[in-house]
Amino acid sequence: MPTDTKRVRGPEVSQSPSLFLCRPPVVLPSQGPRADGRQRDQVDVRPVFVRCGLVSQAKGSAYIEAGNTKLMCCVYGPRETERKDETDMKCGRLTTDMRFAPFSCPERGSWIQGSQDKDFSLMLHESLQPAVCLHKYPRSQIEVNVMVLENSGSVLAHAITCASLALADAGIEMYDLVLGCSIRQDGASCVVDPSYMEENYCSSASSENQGGLTVAFLPSLNQISGLQSDGEMTEEILTAGVRTCIEGCYKLYPVIQQALAKAVRKAAPPPSES
Amino acid sequence: MATVQVSEAEKVYILHGIRDDLRVDGRGCEDYRHMEIETDVVSNTDGSAKVTLGHTAVLVGIKADIGKPRPLVPNEGYLEFFVDCSANATPEFEGRGGEELGTELSNTLYKVFNNKHSVDLKSLCICPGEHCWVLYVDVLLLQCDGNLYDAISIAIKAALFNTKIPRVRISTDEEGGKEIELSDDPYDCMRLNVENVPCIVTLCKVGHRHVVDATLQEKACSVASLIISVTHKGTVTCTRKVGGGSLDSESIFEMTEAGKRVGKALHAPLMNVLQQEEHLGKKKQKVGFLG
Repeated sequence: MPTDTKRVRGPEVSQSPSLFLCRPPVVLPSQGPRADGRQRDQVDVRPVFVRCGLVSQAKGSAYIEAGNTKLMCCVYGPRETERKDETDMKCGRLTTDMRFAPFSCPERGSWIQGSQDKDFSLMLHESLQPAVCLHKYPRSQIEVNVMVLENSGSVLAHAITCASLALADAGIEMYDLVLGCSIRQDGASCVVDPSYMEENYCSSASSENQGGLTVAFLPSLNQISGLQSDGEMTEEILTAGVRTCIEGCYKLYPVIQQALAKAVRKAAPPPSES
Repeated sequence: MATVQVSEAEKVYILHGIRDDLRVDGRGCEDYRHMEIETDVVSNTDGSAKVTLGHTAVLVGIKADIGKPRPLVPNEGYLEFFVDCSANATPEFEGRGGEELGTELSNTLYKVFNNKHSVDLKSLCICPGEHCWVLYVDVLLLQCDGNLYDAISIAIKAALFNTKIPRVRISTDEEGGKEIELSDDPYDCMRLNVENVPCIVTLCKVGHRHVVDATLQEKACSVASLIISVTHKGTVTCTRKVGGGSLDSESIFEMTEAGKRVGKALHAPLMNVLQQEEHLGKKKQKVGFLG
């Protein structure tokens, strides 16, 4: 694992200068439009830019940009399983790995995978597994690697979308595309597809119903393949949040389908009418 | 997780039984197995509890240490979770085998407690910005028979109830150095308010119905489960879908509602039992690990 042995670090007791910034207390208003002009309580997802097939070495790859969140995913496989004792005779294995570049968050992260990265990788695995036809790839392994280049909120949801696009681009057989959407509940209102500020700084003194929710959805089968929430919410708010996320996924679906169709056409243009 | 091999005939048997609200051991779909809780089992810790749920046994020890508070929240203490899957539970956990499961469990515990109300973190502060109590919650899995999340969360709640944090006073001496004074009385300690500590309920989807507290056989017949952590007021602090299958959105709503109902009903009897045990005081019979 690469560690940083060339840089001279400051003394152990040094702290990041961002802690000492004379910041006015970050109180994001809980009414009115959000910082980037989108609406609250409405399914207002950020416009996405998606491209498939960017990495020529990988079997399949995808890049997604939503607001300032940028991430890319590469898929390798189906390949022979690396560890022979884990070879499954009846179905394939899906390995997922999600990493954050050290410069992706406002605070510099480290190269060594922390427990949060492992948690995201596990969530990604659980969300993608129901969609991939693993029984068609016995004794093989499919690797999905997501790299977050810039974290500006809602990273897991976009990683799920990007990974399923990359799997489709690699030609792996799937039952359906998996789309991700997340919301942040803030008191009585919810914001869909939160930005980094909205995710990490809770506004207002309202102590009820503060939390975040991420849903991974298969649109044509109408099944939820991944669900994760934290913070504290009542059950009604949670249910409403899940419905909102599903709507957000439906909104994203046509864009993703178009990007995939474009990539397929570019790779193998249809025979000309002659 | 320790798994059992279940034949097709057994799966069909379990599925049909659950469809008629009758499980293999005679329980209903929302009944728990026989649960035994004992606190104060390990004398070297500040708080400990052992929970046996059917054949699943979990031991939690809490140690309070003085540490530096987190830079962003200088007037709060914090909790650190660590789950160790002992090789006693199943040979799969030998060496580093249980590490993945342990990380998954600890990460979920961090999420469950990641809110303002579960544990009053401000009461863990000694000197803002300089000293605070850090509670190291260490969970040890002794036996694995399904439903680890529920057993662990109940054990943590019991252990936090049992935790006695000594009262300290920080004073400055002549040169400006800080001195920590501990009171001489061993019973002069601070207790935590565990009213708002949530309990986790795992609901496994088997066929078209969901079951609470699934055994390993029932788990082998289910494709997906939903973990939901509920406080005594009915607030949901964490939900998570685990397993390699997908769930219908209607099932998720049904399961959340059932989970909230079951979780809410779990808190009152648990607090009663813990308080009864506390009142027994010296008359308490120690059952320990051999009972």
